[in-house]
Amino acid sequence: MSTDTSSMRAVAGDYEVDDLVAVTMTVNGTAVEAKIPARMLLSDFLRHELRLTGTHVGCEHGVCGACTVHLGGRPTRSCLTLAVQADGCEIRTVEGLADFDGTLHPVQQSFRECHALQCGFCTPGFMMSVAGLLEEGIGNDLSDSELREHLAGNLCRCTGYQNIVAATRKAIDLRDGKEG
Amino acid sequence: MTRAPAPLATTVQERSALIVGQSLPADDAWPIVTGALEFVTDRRVDGMLHAAIAHATVPHALIQSIDVTAARAVPGVVAVLLGGDVPVNALGDDDGDGPVIVDTVVRQLGDPIALVAAVDEATAQAAAAAVTAAYLPLPIVDSARSALEPGAPQLHDKGNVAGHLAFASGDVDAAIRGAYLTVERHVRTPVQEHVALETPGGIAMPDGVGVTVWCGSQFPGVHRRKIARALNIDIADVRLISNPVGGAFGSRNDDPMPVYLAVLAWATRRPVHLKMSREDVMLIGQKRHPFDITTRTGFSSDGRIVASDMTALVDTGPYTTSGPNVLKTSAELSVGPYRMPMARFDGTVVYTNNANGGAFRGYGVPQSAFAIETAMTQAAADLGIDPVELRLMNILRGGDEHALYRHHVTTSLRAAETLQAAAEHAWWRDRAAWRAAATGPWLRGTGIALAMKGVGLGSGKGDTSRARLIVSREGVVQIWAGPNHTGQSIDSSYRQVAADTLGIPMDRIRMTVGDSQLVPEAGSTSSSRSMYAGGEVVRRACVELLDRIETSTGTRVVDPSTCRALIDSGDAEILAEFRLPDSDLGMIPPGQLVTFAPHLVFGCSAQVARLEVNRYTGELHVCGIVCAIDCGTAINPAGVIGQAEGGVTQGLGYAVMEEHLIAGGRPLTKSLETYAIPTSRDVPPIETILVDGSEPTGPMGAKGMSEVVVVPTAPAIAAAVLDAAGVLPDRIPITPERMMRWMSGEQEAIA
Repeated sequence: MSTDTSSMRAVAGDYEVDDLVAVTMTVNGTAVEAKIPARMLLSDFLRHELRLTGTHVGCEHGVCGACTVHLGGRPTRSCLTLAVQADGCEIRTVEGLADFDGTLHPVQQSFRECHALQCGFCTPGFMMSVAGLLEEGIGNDLSDSELREHLAGNLCRCTGYQNIVAATRKAIDLRDGKEG
Repeated sequence: MTRAPAPLATTVQERSALIVGQSLPADDAWPIVTGALEFVTDRRVDGMLHAAIAHATVPHALIQSIDVTAARAVPGVVAVLLGGDVPVNALGDDDGDGPVIVDTVVRQLGDPIALVAAVDEATAQAAAAAVTAAYLPLPIVDSARSALEPGAPQLHDKGNVAGHLAFASGDVDAAIRGAYLTVERHVRTPVQEHVALETPGGIAMPDGVGVTVWCGSQFPGVHRRKIARALNIDIADVRLISNPVGGAFGSRNDDPMPVYLAVLAWATRRPVHLKMSREDVMLIGQKRHPFDITTRTGFSSDGRIVASDMTALVDTGPYTTSGPNVLKTSAELSVGPYRMPMARFDGTVVYTNNANGGAFRGYGVPQSAFAIETAMTQAAADLGIDPVELRLMNILRGGDEHALYRHHVTTSLRAAETLQAAAEHAWWRDRAAWRAAATGPWLRGTGIALAMKGVGLGSGKGDTSRARLIVSREGVVQIWAGPNHTGQSIDSSYRQVAADTLGIPMDRIRMTVGDSQLVPEAGSTSSSRSMYAGGEVVRRACVELLDRIETSTGTRVVDPSTCRALIDSGDAEILAEFRLPDSDLGMIPPGQLVTFAPHLVFGCSAQVARLEVNRYTGELHVCGIVCAIDCGTAINPAGVIGQAEGGVTQGLGYAVMEEHLIAGGRPLTKSLETYAIPTSRDVPPIETILVDGSEPTGPMGAKGMSEVVVVPTAPAIAAAVLDAAGVLPDRIPITPERMMRWMSGEQEAIA
């Protein structure tokens, strides 16, 4: 995958930012090289340059969590991250959660089966946060209030979170081979 | 990645169970979890332009001139559109509807004074920022009360009154004079922001004669009319594709975004993309109307309601939007789900320079219900009657006369059973133990409240849904139906209805919603009507298909051979229509049904809230909510429960934390940092109970429920605060600061 935005001119305020920065990164296992404006957000780079539109932007200032991706293995708000900060890094988005054969990641399977989504706009960000928790080794010994604390960095306006909590518990079980 | 298509069955499969009543994942669930679902604002095409809105920088002013020289000089700018560039610069027939782009008067901070299109987003935004205007400032009307004062600046030609609705079904003053107890309440409710997570936006493309717009819409028919009016083109030449979209809750009803997109594409003859920022939405997006309500409820000594009298003053901000219609549902539900000999309602909607009010889940009912339900709570306390008992002795039952209009309500109303179901939950039964177990600074309490909400646009409006159906030679049934899907997976439930009506598996049914070129005009995704109106019209289309197959083949079996026979007979396309039934007139004068638009069908919800209040800080922890629902048949119970939990959460935010603040016409809550909505940490366990019932006019007995669930939460929480702390809130949200004031007696909360 490669993209070249050298024809693109970014204008901010009354002056032009012509400096394009060469970056290389690995996105969902694929090497990406690009020349991008220094001030381009990682969320915009993923969505508009790589057309990975599963990463959503709901508030543009780091409150809602819809833009959460994994940067170097850690859940990160891509709307608060410059794309150049990801230079040399490994990025994983919702499009990279499932296996190459299409097998769903435990968190995808559990969100779908537990009705943990309605409009679906917050869902990718939530799943990336929960996938990060799974990789950190979070367990079902956590109380509901502890689990809710862990999930409180992502906003959902549709579901009321009950099924998102349930889906997180189910994803932990799936990871641990207790179900499915 | 997309879902593999299900293999087609070549013969009718044996179906062991009904599909209606099963909890099934949404049809969109697979593309959502894989990130493949393309929302309307995700769509991009080669060669498209990017747009931005230039906002007015004052709340109220005459525009003397607008200077676009600097904006047009920014390299890469393709168009800077002013009001005069819109063929018909109006969002409606009335001055109160406002223009598409303001050109003479600014009535709210942020009003669009220009739309800019450019080669990229940064250029468009830079150019929008370079648009300047010379303003002649006008005095700011900053409250509904000041809008009505003599000499107040008038926002529109017709004055500051956007609407007035009054009705009385008896001599309420005399009845209240004779009452044993009169509960008087003066309550105020806040401006609530929808916070649909996908901000308004999308893309529009011109075609030969018209325009195609991809943008969220809860009422594609109205948005298409607005676009056709603005562009002065035929409505048939406006195609609106209104999903997938990231939430709605009413916000995509009054939103002018589809018109902005169409105007930009029309003027530039290019595809144009525009997406509002969250700050833009906080500034000019429509919000829940704030109400100032005075109510008197009279009771006999044994607890019977003798009359209800409610007066409401509503601030719709600068433009009419849904204001007068919101007042209709407020009036109808000013009497709650209760019987009484007579009632009166008098409501006025006014223009101000505050936030623009608009449709929001519940549509005026959360406001009037907060007044009547907290009055019921106080009456129970004053009379020494259990609050469930008091409500049950006054409860409206199926087929009863409505207290205000005296029309008859549907026989399926199960308000009593819904209240009883909530009251049977342990969180209500064990309330004394919960209260007694309070420790330290935390006081504990439990409250209950009840509400109902009409289904559909209301009587006299000609509210109609439509569907189109064809069959293929392989025996696959394709249905195009509405209302549209705005996040509630209504299309999945339509398929469940179709599968059971036709007696075939769901994988033989394809459902399309939300494209005006394919779906016949089916009305709005609003007023709790989607499952009821859309489900019923799908059912009717399917019944018509069975009838035609029977005529053609002598059987009522849908399989490849009967479908081929139907196609060969030239009879394989069906257009179905469902006109929602009106109520009788009651005391409404003939010819005025639409003025009051009462409902025949109602959904109902009763809720129990248990909570803790900190006596020293005023902090409030809601610890659990029970939500009982009367929705008739639950077509997809998981979908219903999801709507209930989401509605309760929005009701919880309304009750304890959400308030859009504005001072002197300038918003103080400009982003999600300062306008907080509930997170997973703020939401307690919610227990949803589906009450058995069946609506005779609905599909398989279903009726709507997604609005009513937002209504009882705030009054239930207020009742729990009374139980815990001895004060009954007269304002929401119940913030710690207000709690402290009430507990310290600074403001008498119990009237």
